[in-house]
Amino acid sequence: MSSQIEVEQNKQPVIQCDSVYKIFGENANKMLQSSKGEVDAKIFQDAGCVVGVNNASFEVYKGDLLVVMGLSGSGKSTLLRCISRLTDATAGNIYIDGQDLIAMSNKKLIELRRNKMGMVFQSFALLPHKTVLENIAFPLQIRGNSTEESINRAMEMVKLVVLEGRENYFPRQLSGGQQQRVGIARSLAVEPDIWFLDEPFSALDPLIRKEMQDEFLRLQSVLNKTILFVTHDFHEALRLADRIAIMKDGIIEQLDTPADIVLNPATEYVRKFTEDVPREKVLKIESVMDALDSSEELSDLKVSKDAIIETVAEEVLGQEKPVAVIDSNKKVVGVLHRSHVIKVLFGGRGTLE
Amino acid sequence: MDYSSKHSKLLQFIFLLVVFLLLCQFIVPSENNFLWRFPPLIKDLPFLINDTVEYFMFEWMPIEIYDPEIEEFEKSPLIQEVTRAISGAMLFFIELIREIFIGGVKTIVAFTSWDFVSENKWARWPALPWTVVAGGAVLLGYKLQGKGLAILASFSTIYISVFGQWEPAMETLSFVLIAAPISFFLGLALGVWSYKSKKVEATLNPLLNVAQTMPHFSYIVPIMVFFGVGDHAGAIATIIFATPPMVRLTLLGLKRVSPEVLEAGMMSGCNNFQLMFKVLIPTARRDILIGVNQVIMQCLAMAVIASFIGAKGLGFNLLLALNGLRIGQALEQGICIVLIAVLLDKMSLAWANKKIDYFADLSFLERHKFSLLFLAIFLVSTILAYIGTFFFKEGFNYLYIVPHNKGITAETFLQAGVDWVWDTFFFSLKAFNVFLIQQVLMPMKAAYLSMPVAATFVLTMGIGYIVGGIRSALIVGGFLLFIALTEWWDRALITAYMLTFGVIVSGIIGMTLGSLCAQNKLTSKIIILACDTFQTFPSFIYLIPVIMLFGVTDTSVLIAVIVFATIPATRYTVEGLNNVPPSLNDAGLMSGVTRIQRWSKIQLPLAFPHMMLGINQTVVFALFMVIIGAMIGTDDLGQFILKALSDKNGVGNGLTLGLCVAFIGLAVDQIIRTWANERKQILGIA
Amino acid sequence: MYTIKRTVGAIVAGIILAFSAGSISAADSSSPIVIPTHNWSSQVVMAYVVGGIFESMGNNVEYKSADSQAVYEAIRIGDVTISHEVWQSSFGKSFYNAMAKGGVIDAGSHSAPTLEEMGVPTWVIDKGLCPGLPNWEALKNCHKAFATADSGGKGRWLEGPQSWHGQLMPDRINALGLDSKYVVKFAGGADALWAELASAKKEGRATIIFNWTPNFTDAEGFTFIEFPEYTDGCRKADGGDGSCGSPKGWLKKAANYKFPKTHPAAYTAFSRMSFSTQDIGQMAALVDIDKMTHKDAAKKWLADHGDVWKPFTQAGM
Repeated sequence: MSSQIEVEQNKQPVIQCDSVYKIFGENANKMLQSSKGEVDAKIFQDAGCVVGVNNASFEVYKGDLLVVMGLSGSGKSTLLRCISRLTDATAGNIYIDGQDLIAMSNKKLIELRRNKMGMVFQSFALLPHKTVLENIAFPLQIRGNSTEESINRAMEMVKLVVLEGRENYFPRQLSGGQQQRVGIARSLAVEPDIWFLDEPFSALDPLIRKEMQDEFLRLQSVLNKTILFVTHDFHEALRLADRIAIMKDGIIEQLDTPADIVLNPATEYVRKFTEDVPREKVLKIESVMDALDSSEELSDLKVSKDAIIETVAEEVLGQEKPVAVIDSNKKVVGVLHRSHVIKVLFGGRGTLE
Repeated sequence: MDYSSKHSKLLQFIFLLVVFLLLCQFIVPSENNFLWRFPPLIKDLPFLINDTVEYFMFEWMPIEIYDPEIEEFEKSPLIQEVTRAISGAMLFFIELIREIFIGGVKTIVAFTSWDFVSENKWARWPALPWTVVAGGAVLLGYKLQGKGLAILASFSTIYISVFGQWEPAMETLSFVLIAAPISFFLGLALGVWSYKSKKVEATLNPLLNVAQTMPHFSYIVPIMVFFGVGDHAGAIATIIFATPPMVRLTLLGLKRVSPEVLEAGMMSGCNNFQLMFKVLIPTARRDILIGVNQVIMQCLAMAVIASFIGAKGLGFNLLLALNGLRIGQALEQGICIVLIAVLLDKMSLAWANKKIDYFADLSFLERHKFSLLFLAIFLVSTILAYIGTFFFKEGFNYLYIVPHNKGITAETFLQAGVDWVWDTFFFSLKAFNVFLIQQVLMPMKAAYLSMPVAATFVLTMGIGYIVGGIRSALIVGGFLLFIALTEWWDRALITAYMLTFGVIVSGIIGMTLGSLCAQNKLTSKIIILACDTFQTFPSFIYLIPVIMLFGVTDTSVLIAVIVFATIPATRYTVEGLNNVPPSLNDAGLMSGVTRIQRWSKIQLPLAFPHMMLGINQTVVFALFMVIIGAMIGTDDLGQFILKALSDKNGVGNGLTLGLCVAFIGLAVDQIIRTWANERKQILGIA
Repeated sequence: MYTIKRTVGAIVAGIILAFSAGSISAADSSSPIVIPTHNWSSQVVMAYVVGGIFESMGNNVEYKSADSQAVYEAIRIGDVTISHEVWQSSFGKSFYNAMAKGGVIDAGSHSAPTLEEMGVPTWVIDKGLCPGLPNWEALKNCHKAFATADSGGKGRWLEGPQSWHGQLMPDRINALGLDSKYVVKFAGGADALWAELASAKKEGRATIIFNWTPNFTDAEGFTFIEFPEYTDGCRKADGGDGSCGSPKGWLKKAANYKFPKTHPAAYTAFSRMSFSTQDIGQMAALVDIDKMTHKDAAKKWLADHGDVWKPFTQAGM
């Protein structure tokens, strides 16, 4: 997917944030103006204001999966709500497909949400009085589709999230995981381009969470949406993300690919998260290969440069000679030494940096 | 910290009590001593209200209206014309529903004229045979929920018909079917409005408080002046009484909708309208449905009082039966009222909970099975009714309509029961009655009346201060000041004495009964059902037996008060105890507490704030009944409200007295509510 | 402005005239005469009797339940057309208050002489519970017999609600020098009075209550106390000292001021209507003793006593 991003780098971003601020409190606007963009959470707090998002700027391109990671109170959900305009940003600009979201009229906003946006919530937020099917059909009916059309489409979605046979259940009759499947199906019913997920799996048991993450990846591989995914779970972020934005006190501390974050944490705060991350689960072969040296004798095994180390480690270690690394066009682009893999697996971070 | 603050509060209370007693001791009772009684500075308020109302109603903006009946032009004030138009519209719908059930000419008159109807004897709307209505109700019950509701519907309709209460029951039903939906929509609209605007919520809140605590008798005359006499006036009085709980519960429900559900609605692309009606209101349905239940209960509880200003039906007949001391008959009619209430309540609930099946591929017959069945019922019943004309020669066709009081009756049986109670208990009760009056009630009343006004203020405001700080003290003081400045302070003290006694006794009974019943799921259910029944059962019915047993005394009034006010005390106790988290009960069990310990150490403290809200409702109910007690004979505010019905400035007197009563209730409410909220916060169950 | 109003009025009139064209020449409007029903039997039966009489003359009739005090305001405004039982002592105040505001007219009296007064059930005298009754002087010596638990050792008079005669009875007790021996308790309504009668009888206890005649209690036996005779102005409210009994009272009929114009024939009949003590007793007995419904009782009474009511409806009497 990252290759795709490069291809589309010149294109217009789907989501674009320019210096977005969200400050809660009565005189938020005045405070922000006088601070000239230099927001210090402490000073604001003393004035009775709470800083939600502090100068956030980034872009998300089509098909990109950006995970916003942060602990509670870091402003990650607030940022998401600014971009879906569930709350109005205090300052800054947000563009959706080049359209100015903040200046958008209510009517246009509703249009946008009805056709382009879908959102999944932490507490599922299903309508308790509607069945699974009615919940999924809800955005379609709101949009004005006929009942028959909506129900048929909803039935397709039920199949997509594998809930067949339970379409006439009420939310209270479902388990948490099943409820979130309904939430996912509902958010996808209108075939949105942009998919917001606000800690969708946080309320679930670890086992179910893993299952749902797999399910999510499966869906994304089929649907290829532009995604903004909020979580407080760093491992989840690593597992799912194309890129991760790590937030603290409203500020985006670092925005990078999972590998770069693990390898090069920008701040002490970020480094703490990466400390006990098993690298082999994050790093791709690419990050530990050496430049091709023609003098070296290579093994018969070839591995893709995009493969996660963990998945190929056993094979690589089984070889006596270094292993060739190839790109998607089967061209050999580098060479992998066993010693590097061992270092990744059993410690010795220093050499990698 | 907790211990010391508790301690200091106790000290404050003791200090307050000492000051209070000293004031009582040293203030000289004399008319000129304003520490003893405030001068009635606002005694002209009733006149002012009266003159203002009459000016607007009878003089302001007169327009010329031609009255064809007397062939003259007449001046009629604008407001009167407007209220008359509203009345007319409501009356039309009430009559329409009524005539569908029991026939009549009014609807036809509305589209033609009385002349037309007089000249054309065929122009009458025929009554539906009662079997059609009953069958329809059963069918509806089955369609909405199934067998259970169908059985309830058939039992209720057959009971009503067989006992010869069909016509009055349908008359009552027709006005409830108008009043209840109006209260529902009005309450929903106001609830939604106050959800949207904090300002509206803040303005509406005191109005609702007053509407809920103001005695009905006090606004009967104003309603009559504005809207006239008739079923519509009864319906309006009912709406004023039934709407506030609906507003409250709607607001509560909407506030409890999780913000994520709201956001989910927004992200689904709802506009404001869709957000409100497709997301918020359906999600808040649990509370809103409790509101519907309350609306229906209140509507039927008002059936009797509504008959004071012209509502026809069971309420009026009940009053008439009581006046002839025919308690058995009144009981039968009271049961009809309860049955209608329960049936309507269950039906509205079932309707709200109905599911839609999208995939059912039904044949024409299946899809229209209920319409077809109803058609069949209609035809069969009509034919039966027709055949009936050949069988029943005395003019009563029992297959068409069982005429009023011509059905079977258990009156003699019920009457015998009442007489038995009387014969068995009278003399033992009499000794008790004499003791209670001479040793408890008379001294208590005298003590209340001997309180100097300054001492009363110090005591009440002091309690307000200790419980809720300076704000509560000022609110309580403000309410009492209004009463103290009218000429009815002594009357209010008598009301307060009866209120205090009633609330203490009901509280003790209710909490004990509630605690006992809450120990077990089945008994909890039974007691809640009993509460529902007694809440709709017209309180007037037990006034008469009580008078016969205890005479026209305060005992009678207080017994009626206690019977009624124990309902909320019991209900809230059961609810409060049942809501204690089971994990805490388990924890208690594991640490080996006995049943009594569990109740006193775990359940009671946790349920106490909720139970105090029950006491709050007990105060409201008790106040309501103390005022109704004027129908037995009291010398408190209630008697003056009753008297206002015939006063020259009845509107002003009624409303001012009503406010006095409402303010007593609100002052108590302020203290209890503040306290309960604080406790809840401390216990972390807010 | 005025002309506009007139025009609008005329148009409205025209429309209504067009609808009611047929009846303008006829005597009575066909719009219904609204008769109030209150919560005591004789009044309800008489309402149906009066209604039956109107119906026999071809009028439409409608019954509305109303509070017996509040009804005069309703008549004044026109929501109720008539009241056929205006008891002097109980409703005189409401009636005159409404009349003073305008809109209510006095439609004459029934022939039944009424008396509304404090009294005792006759068996109290028969049993000799207070020797010397019905003369009021006897009360001086037997206040103990009338004491109740809450009367503080004094005898108790059970008055009707305060809305009926205000301070009349307390004033009388003071004026007659009985204040050291009697107190007045206001009952909440007529039913409280009847309940007191029933319970006193069962208990064999003496009681003084406010009552009136004709009433259903006549059948059981009820004796009114003979107070010093009523003279004009003897009451405290009229400037006297209040030491007098009640007058032989009237039982009036009231009507909305438009009634004579809208229903001239019915009004004439109504103003002629005059029921005697006997008539009223019969009506009440059909319900209270024979346990008939009010409507049936009225039907039966009308059928049996055509000689009484038919003359009211005949013109030129």
